[in-house]
Amino acid sequence: MSTTTFIRNEDLKGLVADLKAAGVGVAGPARTTDGAVDYRSIDRFEDVVLDAQPRTSLKQFFLPPTEPLFKYRREGSDVAILEMPAVQPPRVIVGARPCDAAAVEILDRVMNWDYKDEPWFARREATTIVAFACPGGDRSCFCTTVGLAPDSTRGSDLLLAPAGDGYVVEVVTPKGQKLLDAFPKRFGAGPGVDATKAYRDKARASVDGHVPGSPEVIRQWVQTHFEDPFWSEIALRCHGCGGCAAVCPTCHCFDIVDEPETLTEGTRRRNWDTCQTALFTVHASGHNPRHDQCGRCRQRVNHKFAIYPSRFNEVLCTGCGRCARVCPAGQDVTEILTRIVAMATGQGGAA
Amino acid sequence: MNVYQPFRMRIEERIDETVDTRTLRLKFLDEDVAQKFDFKAGQFGEYSVFGAGECTFCIASSPTRKGYIECSFKTIGKVTSAMKDLEVGDVMGFRGPYGNAFPLDKMQGGNVVFIAGGIGLAPVRCVIWNVLDERNKYKDVTIVYGARSVGDLVYKRELEDWGKRPDVKLWTTVDPGGETPDWKGQVGFVPSIVEKAAPAAANSHAIVCGPPVMIKYTLPVLKKLGFTDDRIYTTLENRMKCGIGKCGRCNIGPVYVCKDGPVFTAAEMARLPNEF
Ligand SMILES: Cc1cc2nc3c(=O)[nH]c(=O)nc-3n(C[C@H](O)[C@H](O)[C@H](O)COP(=O)(O)OP(=O)(O)OC[C@H]3O[C@@H](n4cnc5c(N)ncnc54)[C@H](O)[C@@H]3O)c2cc1C
Ligand code: SF4
Ligand code: SF4
Ligand code: FES
Repeated sequence: MSTTTFIRNEDLKGLVADLKAAGVGVAGPARTTDGAVDYRSIDRFEDVVLDAQPRTSLKQFFLPPTEPLFKYRREGSDVAILEMPAVQPPRVIVGARPCDAAAVEILDRVMNWDYKDEPWFARREATTIVAFACPGGDRSCFCTTVGLAPDSTRGSDLLLAPAGDGYVVEVVTPKGQKLLDAFPKRFGAGPGVDATKAYRDKARASVDGHVPGSPEVIRQWVQTHFEDPFWSEIALRCHGCGGCAAVCPTCHCFDIVDEPETLTEGTRRRNWDTCQTALFTVHASGHNPRHDQCGRCRQRVNHKFAIYPSRFNEVLCTGCGRCARVCPAGQDVTEILTRIVAMATGQGGAA
Repeated sequence: MNVYQPFRMRIEERIDETVDTRTLRLKFLDEDVAQKFDFKAGQFGEYSVFGAGECTFCIASSPTRKGYIECSFKTIGKVTSAMKDLEVGDVMGFRGPYGNAFPLDKMQGGNVVFIAGGIGLAPVRCVIWNVLDERNKYKDVTIVYGARSVGDLVYKRELEDWGKRPDVKLWTTVDPGGETPDWKGQVGFVPSIVEKAAPAAANSHAIVCGPPVMIKYTLPVLKKLGFTDDRIYTTLENRMKCGIGKCGRCNIGPVYVCKDGPVFTAAEMARLPNEF
């Protein structure tokens, strides 16, 4: 049983102020100038928006859309390499959704597969994730199908759930405890976890059953149906724009490119990329092993629900529903998975 | 220094192989790194020109020859064009070695058959040198190498050396129409020359690298000669970026070519979905 404590609404505001005063970066879900909600740097807790799912996930804080790997400077025939800082400045994310926190921990597996991705882990180590139990999702959400829940603690350092005039605080990791210890006056006695039960139950009920079946059923079908008309059928509506991958908390494909800044200096960067575009796999010779959108749509589902689970024993999807919400073509992951489950259990096939 | 930061290497030598292919011999600038660096035949690396980017090549030299590595590249796109413009003495980047290797320990004590087409000789050459440098550990060594035309044959000086060795059976061939008046080798596609060379399958392993069509038509010939799928090896060249299992680029179904490969047996290849 993890330890719990309590933080009052006033102290939450104070905590963010304390962090800022201590020089710690704070980010949370807040309104952008165009009115959307995104995770971004915040100055005060009052700006945090908790009742809407942020448009993008926490991925950007650990795998930025573009990230310098090192700088180079040519000196005659020689080259000097300028390393990037190995340590990142401390940051606390206040108001993370539990599904987004979980995604970060799920990605730790691939980022530490034989080779440690230092840029990723430098940011992981510098960041404390304070998640807030989710108030509930819309019909694109299906976290409970993939083993998560609106109040799951995976990937969070602290998990807060509302009760009375504040929040019950579950201490999930030593890093979470460290935050408590640094600002002891902000935390104190209050209602226990039981007081948050109604809130949690309501949230869970709002997402339960949106995708039936289990990740295991999906994995088995995908692994045994590489060739299936289903893939071409779902690919017909996809434009290959990659919007789904950009908003996805777990899509982590990247490109490595050099950006010259002068004739002699420049930066090698990694940039987000996506398996949904044709260029992703094309050889210099012009040969493209994944030559149509059918293969690309299959790859996205395959990687998330079969490849990653068999490598790392984790589903590479948190059920956040963002890919369905953002898709200009109406590609809906809940529909794809529901149909796979139906086919796997003998109740349907490609239309 | 993070995993994406390359070692700096100085170009020691440039050898022009064909009209569009060149071999570079590279030495580590850092003596410490040079001492520690080790690799196995079949592994690859990410080579880079600062300002142009990275690309993937096998290490074409043999791990038995210390102190340097070589790569042979075809000028085909952005990075390889920038590599072509580098001079002896210039510094480029290398990170690696990555991927699996040819299982030389399994091949020792038996015969080895090398079959390559075009620039596919690059990864095979690494193993050939490795085997010839430890010649007493192996029985018969057969090499079948073909290219479109005489001008397209790479490593011409080495082909000459291998041809002179009494302990190597070398067959060189060019596609019909690709021969010159003074060409003394075979004329014909690689698979038919393999059939003609007819290396014994008993106690043998075969390594086959080259264009997909060559591999496709060579496999049945080897099978007819009695080679089993688990004793035939090839390499795959899916597009790569990170080389270390992170960037998601090189998947073929469940396989990460950069981690599980680039060396695969014909048996493993047969189980892969058709995405390479
Ligand atoms: C394991 C492995 C070993 C290889 N060994 C050799 C070798 O020994 N000699 C050789 O000439 N070629 C080899 N290749 C192919 C070589 O990597 C490409 O020809 C090269 O990357 C083209 O780069 P470019 O920038 O000039 O071409 P561009 O078309 O400008 O390509 C731009 C980018 O695309 C990527 N790319 C394009 N084609 C390929 C491809 N076929 N494979 C991987 N990445 C690609 C590269 O990352 C490159 O940075 C190998 C590929 C792999 C995967
Ligand atoms: S957002 Fe929709 S249209 Fe765009 S690549 Fe993803 S599934 Fe295809
Ligand atoms: S695949 Fe879709 S539902 Fe799953 S984590 Fe990514 S964006 Fe969310
Ligand atoms: S090359 Fe990046 S995962 Fe294989």
